[in-house]
Amino acid sequence: MITAEQKPLDEIREMLAPYRRVLALGCGSCVAECAAGGEKETAALASALRMAARIHGEEILVHEKTVDRQCVREFILPLDDIMGDYDAVLSLGCGAGVQAVADMYPEVPIVPALNTEFLGETKDQGYWVENCVGCGDCMLYYFGGVCPLARCAKQILNGPCGGSVDGRCEVNPDVPCAWQLIIDRLTRLGALDRLERIYPPKNWARKQGSGPRKIVREDQQR
Amino acid sequence: MTDPSRRTLALFYCRNVPEAGEADRQAIEAAYGGHIRLFPLPCSGRLEAVHLMRALEEVADAAYVITCPEGACRYFEGNRRARKRVERTREMVAAIGLEPERVGIVIGSREAPKTLAQLAARIYEETSRLGPSPALKRPGTQPPACERRRSWL
Repeated sequence: MITAEQKPLDEIREMLAPYRRVLALGCGSCVAECAAGGEKETAALASALRMAARIHGEEILVHEKTVDRQCVREFILPLDDIMGDYDAVLSLGCGAGVQAVADMYPEVPIVPALNTEFLGETKDQGYWVENCVGCGDCMLYYFGGVCPLARCAKQILNGPCGGSVDGRCEVNPDVPCAWQLIIDRLTRLGALDRLERIYPPKNWARKQGSGPRKIVREDQQR
Repeated sequence: MTDPSRRTLALFYCRNVPEAGEADRQAIEAAYGGHIRLFPLPCSGRLEAVHLMRALEEVADAAYVITCPEGACRYFEGNRRARKRVERTREMVAAIGLEPERVGIVIGSREAPKTLAQLAARIYEETSRLGPSPALKRPGTQPPACERRRSWL
């Protein structure tokens, strides 16, 4: 899922300063799962903004609403009925959600309340880690289900680098060496021979070298 | 009707605190004339930042939670979670310019257990010293002009 963290309140307040009537818009999907922009977080942030305005003698109206998915047009459409009431939208969606709302309502300023972080795996309650960089050319088969691009600090495809100590990364000893994990897993699977080939440098054009990526599936379209 | 010269405390509490039944709750609220608003929780781990924030915004000058003693949570870690959530809420409160002491947690003691009424009295006395909260919506105050304008739409 997509992970995010809330921006500092001062930054949000600064961006909202020109506006008097604000809709705080949460998203009930990924950012709710990572406790950054779901219904509860949207309500808490809206409360904080109203209280801050009261303390500082400012005049601002903050209403709150959470849609199930801010990045899907059909879920945003019901906002048509209320959008005219607001000067701006404070989006607690990920970057995709913010831009989907901005695209739907070109006349309404939109302010991001979150910093979108990474594609994360939920390791434990309140603990998310980046395990995928969305490179567009998955090589997890060759590396036993451990991605060296996301999990190796040096992003090397022909590892290990030789610097790890006791299976920990030399750059950040808090994390396991991705290449140690790769070799351990491939050994367990009896597939260590997958590392006998030399992997050429990654073709990053499939990630971001050609502008924004898109997926078109005609079988899923109208 | 509450006395505007007195402070109001929103108090969330774990139902496992001694003498924290419904009759006790009603007795405390009546004794304080509505200046202590009590919110029973099945476990303090149910508490979220939004509960404390809403309480500060709508009903109280301070918002606290009382938990059962460390290691005594019926659900194992509810009181530990409550403590972390209170810490996070205090950061949010500080970020808007409010004293973080307006939010807090009191963890019950195994060795010297106190009743809900005793703990509520102590917390009320301590938080009342902070004075009125500038963040609290006072009854009878006009909504912001931008809110009033909305009624024309």
